[in-house]
Amino acid sequence: MGADGEVAGLISSVPADGDALVVLRGVSKTYRQFRALDNVSLAIGAGEIFGYIGPNGAGKTTTMKILIGLITDFQGEVEIDGCRVPQQTQEAHRLLGYMPQNVAFQEWRTVDQALLTFGRLSGLTAKQLERRIPTLLDLLSLSDVRHKKISQLSGGMAQKVGLAQALLHEPKLLVLDEPLGELDPLSRYQLKEIVLALAKNGTTILFSSHILSDVQDVADRIGVLSGGRLMQVGTIDELKTQLSTQQSVEVLLSFATAEWQQFGTLKSVQYVEEPEPGRVLVHLGDNADAYLVIDDLIQMIAKLGIRVRGVTLSSPSLDEIYFRYVQRGEGSA
Amino acid sequence: MNLALLYVDELRGFYRSKVMLFLWGGLPLIAFLFHFVQGNGTSQDILFSVVSALVVSSVGGTLAAVMLAVSTINERNRHVYELFLVRPLKRRDLLIGKCLAIYTCVAVASLIAVFVGVAADYVAGSTLPAALFTDVGQSLAVSLSMLAVACSAGVLIGVASPSILVGAILVIYGGNQISVIPVVPTLLNLPQVALVTVGLAAVVTVTFIWVAIALFKRKQF
Repeated sequence: MGADGEVAGLISSVPADGDALVVLRGVSKTYRQFRALDNVSLAIGAGEIFGYIGPNGAGKTTTMKILIGLITDFQGEVEIDGCRVPQQTQEAHRLLGYMPQNVAFQEWRTVDQALLTFGRLSGLTAKQLERRIPTLLDLLSLSDVRHKKISQLSGGMAQKVGLAQALLHEPKLLVLDEPLGELDPLSRYQLKEIVLALAKNGTTILFSSHILSDVQDVADRIGVLSGGRLMQVGTIDELKTQLSTQQSVEVLLSFATAEWQQFGTLKSVQYVEEPEPGRVLVHLGDNADAYLVIDDLIQMIAKLGIRVRGVTLSSPSLDEIYFRYVQRGEGSA
Repeated sequence: MNLALLYVDELRGFYRSKVMLFLWGGLPLIAFLFHFVQGNGTSQDILFSVVSALVVSSVGGTLAAVMLAVSTINERNRHVYELFLVRPLKRRDLLIGKCLAIYTCVAVASLIAVFVGVAADYVAGSTLPAALFTDVGQSLAVSLSMLAVACSAGVLIGVASPSILVGAILVIYGGNQISVIPVVPTLLNLPQVALVTVGLAAVVTVTFIWVAIALFKRKQF
């Protein structure tokens, strides 16, 4: 099933070489008066790693839970490999592996027991599990704790068990909700390597994270969610290009002064802000000539007698992209 | 297939968390204590097997309902079910598997308690007329019916209650009283009392479980 015109029109750069495995069309969800998701449309190609970022309460987990059929009362359409959710949830569930944000198991379960049960429920035979479980435990460095109760493991270890249960049946679609949260740097590196290797073998991965550098490391495309709205979707380069039409000039002040506010009176300057003391960002309007503005800016700095350490045309980092879109979302909410 | 897996998995959980040990040892023990402390020292007047059946009916039913309600609410609130519900299984199997597992545990505990009672009566030298076995059989039918109703009430309360505290209160207020429904045919002296009791319990149990499943299917996780 391919992404239809409607979705493709809303979403940039759906991989052309593969049909979309996941499609969300106009998905909205309201909890009493609170609009948790507002008309979200999204298509994720087969074998793609899609990073889903947004602040707390933006609707990331809600989107994921709708996709995997845990939340069924929503507006809009959801499909996984052509299976409509929630109407064909059983079929969709054969295709997906899910690791929740807070992985929880019954207190009595050992690692081995958990994997055996979830493996059998995913349709694997005892014989298949005999081979699969040790492989996964090795891959995730869990072999030493195989017979330990999960409730006695650290948060990071329990999270790895959560990942192991999601990978057991080699799902076509892997949905990971904040998978890196409790992991130490080495485990985070390992997990990212695993995610990249899985995608190379054709697994489609949707994962959310607050750790933007990790998203940048692995995601083919990123979706920025804010206030329940999907603000932007694209590769990191596409998002940067989109923002660079609204370039900014960074001015580093030598001494604290409020006179930087006058930069806002310059031609082609949209607005000025001081995100941290001594660092002023001069945001330019659409299609402004950045070098002309820098000339004007330097003249104004000299005229006002402001002492500066540097003036640079800045290209947005993923953090800035994130903050910019999130601010837009909050502003228009 | 999945129902059998979930049922065995729950039983394994009760075994590992020592629930079975406490139930299977605890119910006969409580029956023993009841037997020796009741009647101001005239304990020998009432057969131990009868005391056991009484204890099993009252304590076992409450235990089953509380266990089911509390574990259902606890697992739901801790998001334990999420990992089950993203697999190709039916939501109803999750509830039925749990309910059957707890019913099995409590029913076995009841049988142990009653048969320990019969054995104790035999060892104590009480006469064991054939009528006693009929009475014990009838008591067991009532006990097992009460346990089934208690389990279904527990699962319904577990699905419907927002918190463990509310669930526990509802079970103690309502669940325990509801589980007495199967005693009604005995109180009314109906003919073929065992059959009527089992039939009545089956209707109530199926109804409660059906409502619980309907609610569980609508739950958003």
